[in-house]
Amino acid sequence: MRKQRPFRPEQRDVRVTRWRGSDVNRKQSSAIPAGDRNWRGTKRRLISLRAGVAVIGGRAAGALSRRLHLGGGTTIAGIVAQHLYPGIVSHLAGQLEHGSIMVTGTNGKTTTSGFIAAILRDAGLRVWHNREGSNLMSGVASSLVIRALPNGNLRGKGRAISILEIDEAVMPQAVQTIPPRVAVFTNLFRDQLDRYGEVDTVAARWRGAVESLSASTTLVLNADDPTIAYLGELSTGQVMYFGIDDPTVDLAVQGSASERHQVIDTRTCPRCGSEYTYTLRLYSHMGHYHCANCGLVRPQPDIRAINIHSEGFDRTRVRVATSTIEHDVVVPLPGLYNVYNTLAAIAVAQALHINWDPIVTGVEQFKPAFGRGERVQVEGRNVRLMLAKNPTGFNEVLRTLFSSGTQLHVLFVLNDNVADGRDVSWIWDIDFEWVVQQTAGLVVAGSRARDLALRLKYAGVEQQDMTIVPPAPLRVVKREVAGNRMKQVAKVRLPSLTDAKVNTLEHEERAAAPHPYGIAEALNTAVHQTPVGETLFIVPTYTGLLEIHQELERRGLTPHYWEG
Amino acid sequence: MRSLKDVNATGLRLTLGHLYPDQLNLYGDRGNILTLRQRCQRRGIELRVVGLGIGDALAPDEYDMLFIGGGQDKEQAPVAQDLHDTKGIGLWAAIEDDMPVLVVCGGYQLLAHYYRPAEGPDMRGLGVFDAWTIHKGSHVPRCIGDIAISWNNSTLVGFENHGGRTYLGTAKPLGKVLKGHGNNSEDHTEGAIYRNAYGTYLHGSLLPKNPHFADHLIALALRRTYGMNSLPDENSNGFRPSTGAADLKPLDDILEWEAHASLLERMRLYNEAAAAMHMPI
Repeated sequence: MRKQRPFRPEQRDVRVTRWRGSDVNRKQSSAIPAGDRNWRGTKRRLISLRAGVAVIGGRAAGALSRRLHLGGGTTIAGIVAQHLYPGIVSHLAGQLEHGSIMVTGTNGKTTTSGFIAAILRDAGLRVWHNREGSNLMSGVASSLVIRALPNGNLRGKGRAISILEIDEAVMPQAVQTIPPRVAVFTNLFRDQLDRYGEVDTVAARWRGAVESLSASTTLVLNADDPTIAYLGELSTGQVMYFGIDDPTVDLAVQGSASERHQVIDTRTCPRCGSEYTYTLRLYSHMGHYHCANCGLVRPQPDIRAINIHSEGFDRTRVRVATSTIEHDVVVPLPGLYNVYNTLAAIAVAQALHINWDPIVTGVEQFKPAFGRGERVQVEGRNVRLMLAKNPTGFNEVLRTLFSSGTQLHVLFVLNDNVADGRDVSWIWDIDFEWVVQQTAGLVVAGSRARDLALRLKYAGVEQQDMTIVPPAPLRVVKREVAGNRMKQVAKVRLPSLTDAKVNTLEHEERAAAPHPYGIAEALNTAVHQTPVGETLFIVPTYTGLLEIHQELERRGLTPHYWEG
Repeated sequence: MRSLKDVNATGLRLTLGHLYPDQLNLYGDRGNILTLRQRCQRRGIELRVVGLGIGDALAPDEYDMLFIGGGQDKEQAPVAQDLHDTKGIGLWAAIEDDMPVLVVCGGYQLLAHYYRPAEGPDMRGLGVFDAWTIHKGSHVPRCIGDIAISWNNSTLVGFENHGGRTYLGTAKPLGKVLKGHGNNSEDHTEGAIYRNAYGTYLHGSLLPKNPHFADHLIALALRRTYGMNSLPDENSNGFRPSTGAADLKPLDDILEWEAHASLLERMRLYNEAAAAMHMPI
């Protein structure tokens, strides 16, 4: 078996490397003693060989995983390659002509990366992007490995730039493995406390990551998020801030919105720990802030949105200003959070000295990323997928959907897998009060559908206004039991309470109706509740989105996301 | 104790003091407040919620119930300071006067003797519960996951996420751990009780999925404030004679018990799930 393996590419690689190794030796021959020279050449040859082996192994594992339908193969290739050669990532990333851009933050990583990619492609660069969801080191490794040749070299590395979406927790490790040319920090919100720990833990990690960066890295930071902006004080390199300077989007001038609950994840000054005050509030802790105690103040952004004007659900016209120029940019996505994502991408483009034409066209022609406003046609209905991963993200999706005041068709999917966060407490911090009497159809699904239904009930949604579609029935025949329980209570304990009897009857009727279970049925129910030609909004957590996508793929409605 | 004449004139009214709503609000604590308010409202009781931040005094006479949630480590230190300097005496007086008090996670730790972090000095607590908390360092995994405990011949379910291990002295535990870690993942105890003060690590949120526990707290408050063991019958002006246990008007809690039972089933506690669906109200 072993002999039959095609080893030729590597042998060719060894020759190439030998030539290169001697080249290096020639240059440095005066400084390096002969013995050391030989050792260096051998080491370089070994590295190349190991890189080649790692690439082959990783790609084979990825292909196998896809063939066996174990998954997209988006991480396995990287895991195997890193196992075979731990230095594979820096080996490959170092070959990119234009280096790497890293994007991290709680929300907006994928969309921001998408905007950056669209702009850079329009500017004529060869853009590489790590695949959806695989934003851990293994995913980054995969994205490089699948584009590497078996000789350990990257394919088409000239004019190439990689855009790497990096998980918050992995950022310190990532910047050490691949020193980025530009590092983007979008925002920091509470997210999956059981996985990331508290917001402060993540902030401390990022401060460590920024302190380890060399002066050649440009930081792109959100000026409106105090924790993010503070990172600029720790940087030795160039810093570019982006922010919103349009007073009309202040929470305080938006009437009822100011009464709504705001999830605030950072209240205290990152420098001195005292509470800061706002002159403009956008959402959560985003806004124009200053600390009365130590004088920390929001930095003046280099890229500013000075006028934000919504042109229908899907189009936001933003007037973007730098110190020298103003430009109108049309963002093809709803919501204030996507204005931030656009600003971050424009700041990156500015840091790379890209002129305005590709910026404007790149943003306008942007196609929504996986589940971030993505559009699908299902049986004549327009389906929009709006991923919501954490309280602030969910709140902003709800605000975007329901602030128009029209009644909508909605499917919520709440899962509690590791990638969603095992703890579902966060649903109690979401403003589901937006939803009350604002839905023409409401379906609640996912592994924690019952928790979400309860949340909606306590928000004030009438039980008859929602359809609950959990993955499976309870083992206990609950509705019967519950009905009996109510009956028993009504009969024995409180004979005068007529409403309890009414409830009993209602529940007995409900118990008789067939109950759908599982994600496919949830999708069916939601689609059929939506009249043909109208829009169904699906708001899932991360693995909920994957399940919905799989279901749509099964029906032949979306491409496999790892292709292309 | 308020007079019944007042009750008939204005309707039943309770006031909940929510301590440190801005600092300790990490684990869906809003769900607990929302549940108490709505379960009162659906029975014709008005629940007023008053937020008490750092520096605000706690006058026990003004409240019928108190609640403290959980928060980040950074926010816990100023809260501990404020508990000692400003609210401690009021809180002690309220608890000794049998006021129902619910403290979750960080709030629970602050009401025990002390919190000993992995590094640095102890954080002094109020000592309401004869218990203490030790964080054994980052090499010891946090207690994270779904949890079910037995309480009062029934179950309580929730989620826990705490780095510190709490050990009970003479304090009575809230319940016995059926699945999960509880106080310290060693002795199967969870939470602590002192008079009508309940400390627990359960969130998720706790009260929405445990309606019997929410009602227990409401009933305690009604009994303490109005001296009533049962609610006035809707058809009469007077009160029904007390029958011992507080007798709140039953609500349609099917969604609540389904959420409760489904979590039990996820922990493979099938008998408990079945029992939960038969819970008397």
